[in-house]
Amino acid sequence: MQASRARLFKEYKEVQREKAADPDIQLVCDDSNIFKWTALVKGPSETPYEGGVFQLAFTVPEHYPLQPPQVRFLTKIFHPNVHFKTGEICLDILKNAWSPAWTLQSVCRAIIALMGHPEPDSPLNCDSGNLLRSGDIRGYQSMARMYTRLAAMPKKQ
Amino acid sequence: MQNQDGQPAEPETETISSLPTSEVNDWANYRDDEVMQQHSAIQAEEAGKIPFVGDKEPLSSLAEEYKSGNPILLEKIKVLTEQYAAIRRTRGDGNCFFRSFMFAYLEHILESQDRAEIDRITVNVEQCRKTLLSLGYAEFTFEDFFSLFLEQLESVLSGKEACISHEELVQRSRDQSVSDYVVMFFRFITSGEIRKRLEFYEPFIQGLSNTSVEQFCKSSVEPMGEESDHVHITALSDALGVPIRIVYLDRSHDDKGSVSVNHHDFTPAAHEVTDANTGGAVALEPFITLLYRPGHYDILYPK
Repeated sequence: MQASRARLFKEYKEVQREKAADPDIQLVCDDSNIFKWTALVKGPSETPYEGGVFQLAFTVPEHYPLQPPQVRFLTKIFHPNVHFKTGEICLDILKNAWSPAWTLQSVCRAIIALMGHPEPDSPLNCDSGNLLRSGDIRGYQSMARMYTRLAAMPKKQ
Repeated sequence: MQNQDGQPAEPETETISSLPTSEVNDWANYRDDEVMQQHSAIQAEEAGKIPFVGDKEPLSSLAEEYKSGNPILLEKIKVLTEQYAAIRRTRGDGNCFFRSFMFAYLEHILESQDRAEIDRITVNVEQCRKTLLSLGYAEFTFEDFFSLFLEQLESVLSGKEACISHEELVQRSRDQSVSDYVVMFFRFITSGEIRKRLEFYEPFIQGLSNTSVEQFCKSSVEPMGEESDHVHITALSDALGVPIRIVYLDRSHDDKGSVSVNHHDFTPAAHEVTDANTGGAVALEPFITLLYRPGHYDILYPK
């Protein structure tokens, strides 16, 4: 517990110091609980998520950084590796390929990379995965873009 | 079939229509973190069976294990008994090589009180720190693991503060907050060494897993629980400058059916001393001996 708190505090300081370095990621620690974080990440350009801002929720376990943080999308997203209902993310570094060399910030970068490179062979969202696997790139992109507009962009008045 | 008077079997249709949907819902609600929780529950159950590092046992306990097993193995254990006195088992959680190395190394320092060896390895550890920084690792991601290992080193040497007892060393090796941190320290060291000597390790890694060196380090070296192969052992031995002997206990035998127990010494390049008479390199005798059975490492004690 003490070790994870100390590590998170270092990450917190690093995030403050490097704020300008990664304009696509805004990582914020909960005011009262260092084990709860949220992030706003920008949808990568030339993907159907471009123009959207997606919110991620982090829950950090007691044995962090030996164990990975739990991360899920709070913003609805249509992506083969994100559960459409729960926002859960299928990404190896959040499971068996985790190591303490990763940080909350680099996890955000990995999630942005996943948005640009979906892995339809291990889908959490089968509808999305099936579109890609059957080669219906256009179908996938238009669905993903629609949900980006509906859920990840500020409402136009 | 109780409804023989022509009425529709209502309860049955209800079961048919409700069962599949509830099952689908169950699976949809079966989240990955629950899978991980179950995974760690299984690990905890395994943990109850054997600690990270077990007690020292006479080698006869190994023979007992194979009592009704393969005759070649039994024959080999007999051969082992001539040279080795005892075994200390480690948990088979994928970290057994690093865990065995940790305990064997710290125990050696505790028993030998070899200050020169600590000074020597400290220099190597510092070199590893620089390697990781030059590879682009953020210092705060690995420094806690480094300082915990250096703390353990100091604590097994008497003179400074209170030197811990052998019993205390066993306890610490079983304490997850110490043991796993030291294992992770070795994983950082190993990964840094492999990536530093990319050209050297590349062909071995491609032979093993057909991935890039970087991908191999990320998926097979740095994550806890990933098993070690000769690549990991070579890299750790080289990086820390500590020779390691691995004794192989498997079913291999020659054509005539006679058995001998093979071992391989991993000798770090920098650790070879030059023989004054011949000018050739003489490998130093390793003070760490591990027993390898396919998929697992334990610590072996020579007579």
